[in-house]
Amino acid sequence: MTQPNDTAAISFAGVSKWFRPKGQLVHALSQVSLDVSKSEFVSLIGPSGCGKSTMLRLTSGLLEPDWGTLMVEGGSPSEARARKHFGFIPQHPALLPWRTVRANVSLLCDINHQPEAEVMSADDQLDMLESIGLGPFVDALPSELSGGMMQRVSIARVFALRAPLLLADEPFSALDELTRVEMRYLLLSLWERSGSTVLFVTHSIPEAVVLSDRAVVLAARPGRITKVIDVPLPRPRDESIEDTEEYREILREVRSALKEGWSH
Amino acid sequence: MADATSPDSIPVVEVPPEIRRQTFRHAVFMVAPFAGLAAFFLFWEFYVRISGIRPLTLPKPSSVLIHVVENPAFYWHHATVTVQEAWWGFWMAFVLAVLVATGMAHSKLVERAATPIIVLMQSMPVAILVPIFLLWFGFSSWPKILTALLFAWIPFVANALTGLRAIDPETHELLKSVNASKWEIYWRLRVPHSLPYLFSAGRICIGLALVGAVVGEFFNSKDGLGNTARVAQSRLLVDQLWGSVFVLAFIGVTFVLVLIAVEHRVLRWHSSQTVV
Repeated sequence: MTQPNDTAAISFAGVSKWFRPKGQLVHALSQVSLDVSKSEFVSLIGPSGCGKSTMLRLTSGLLEPDWGTLMVEGGSPSEARARKHFGFIPQHPALLPWRTVRANVSLLCDINHQPEAEVMSADDQLDMLESIGLGPFVDALPSELSGGMMQRVSIARVFALRAPLLLADEPFSALDELTRVEMRYLLLSLWERSGSTVLFVTHSIPEAVVLSDRAVVLAARPGRITKVIDVPLPRPRDESIEDTEEYREILREVRSALKEGWSH
Repeated sequence: MADATSPDSIPVVEVPPEIRRQTFRHAVFMVAPFAGLAAFFLFWEFYVRISGIRPLTLPKPSSVLIHVVENPAFYWHHATVTVQEAWWGFWMAFVLAVLVATGMAHSKLVERAATPIIVLMQSMPVAILVPIFLLWFGFSSWPKILTALLFAWIPFVANALTGLRAIDPETHELLKSVNASKWEIYWRLRVPHSLPYLFSAGRICIGLALVGAVVGEFFNSKDGLGNTARVAQSRLLVDQLWGSVFVLAFIGVTFVLVLIAVEHRVLRWHSSQTVV
């Protein structure tokens, strides 16, 4: 049996997961093995139902593997969660409508207070909001913001936590294309300053290539890894990277890997 | 020629008259409830005057109002008794409903155990319990308070349960990702989320608590607007009977308006406070 790598930030070793919705057994993940190094940005890309989101929930300890071993920072996912080592960016901004922008950003810092957790101070949170263009809106309610601004608050909220591990579940899927591109580079700039490890679920090939150090391609029924593609594009990255031949080459490679997984 | 995207190229247009007229429409919108109420009473007044209907069947609203204004101490005394009973019944119903809904929202077992009792109380005419309360508590305020409680608590419990339970699953997962305790999820997510539901129930329960208190007073009491109405009915004191109704309606409307004002302040974040 595959052994987990306890020096990796996240290590899946032969992990399998089944669900039983309405009595029908669904094999969500089959024998998944993957090591994610510290400060690495890894994207999980694949069709619907390939187990991308299940991998995130297993990593954060919200689900337990039925088979295999999963280690986070050399321990169990639940231990990492108890220490507030996860920052989660959900698909929708999931802002609390009764809290102002400032209060939403500090929300995760206030919960499950850990004296050793190095969360961002209130002043630093304000500086961050200022730097991402939300300065004039710190006392606004979510209902007063646009979709893109709400997602910016959601990203700021996770970086305020200063968690060493970030998990993102298709955070830009509900945005229009222009806002989506803007958010992609905003996330990139904040992540490059933070040095955290990221597991990023996406359906978008350009998103996976622009953001990641590695793109993990998955196939469905059962969910499994079909290919892991290195993205050796130089960092820091900006929009000009999308004009390079190297970028387009990796894009083609990811696309053909996805098609291959689809046809099998 | 100015660049198509430069500020100079943006045409300045006058505010359309339709938008100007919106201010006037807003003013009309604000006055409409009072105008509706005034029209209702004027119609009633003229109908009684013109039709020649007997005052015993339907008195003029003006004569009822004059009767209330001429007997302020009498109505004040009885109204304070009814309001106190309804007030305590309302708040006890609120606390009990929130406690029960909290248990039900957190445990399927509690929900399964409590549901038959709630359905039983919902489908039973609560007024039938008043004689039993009189046997238990005598002629104190308790039978009336308990009746008000039983009338008011079902809408509270149904709405509190929906509000506490129907939270956004993604937000729930977000809080769990930092290992939030059940208590933190309750205070930071479930309780604020249930507030619009509780305010909505509160509007209904104000009326129900007053009805409960009055029904309790019908059975046996020396004071309260239920008693004044019962005595007036037996002695054919039409102005007093209708006066009790008017004062009771006034109390109900006043409390609902106060609640709406509080709701407007507390729930400024909620879509229910946006006029579309």
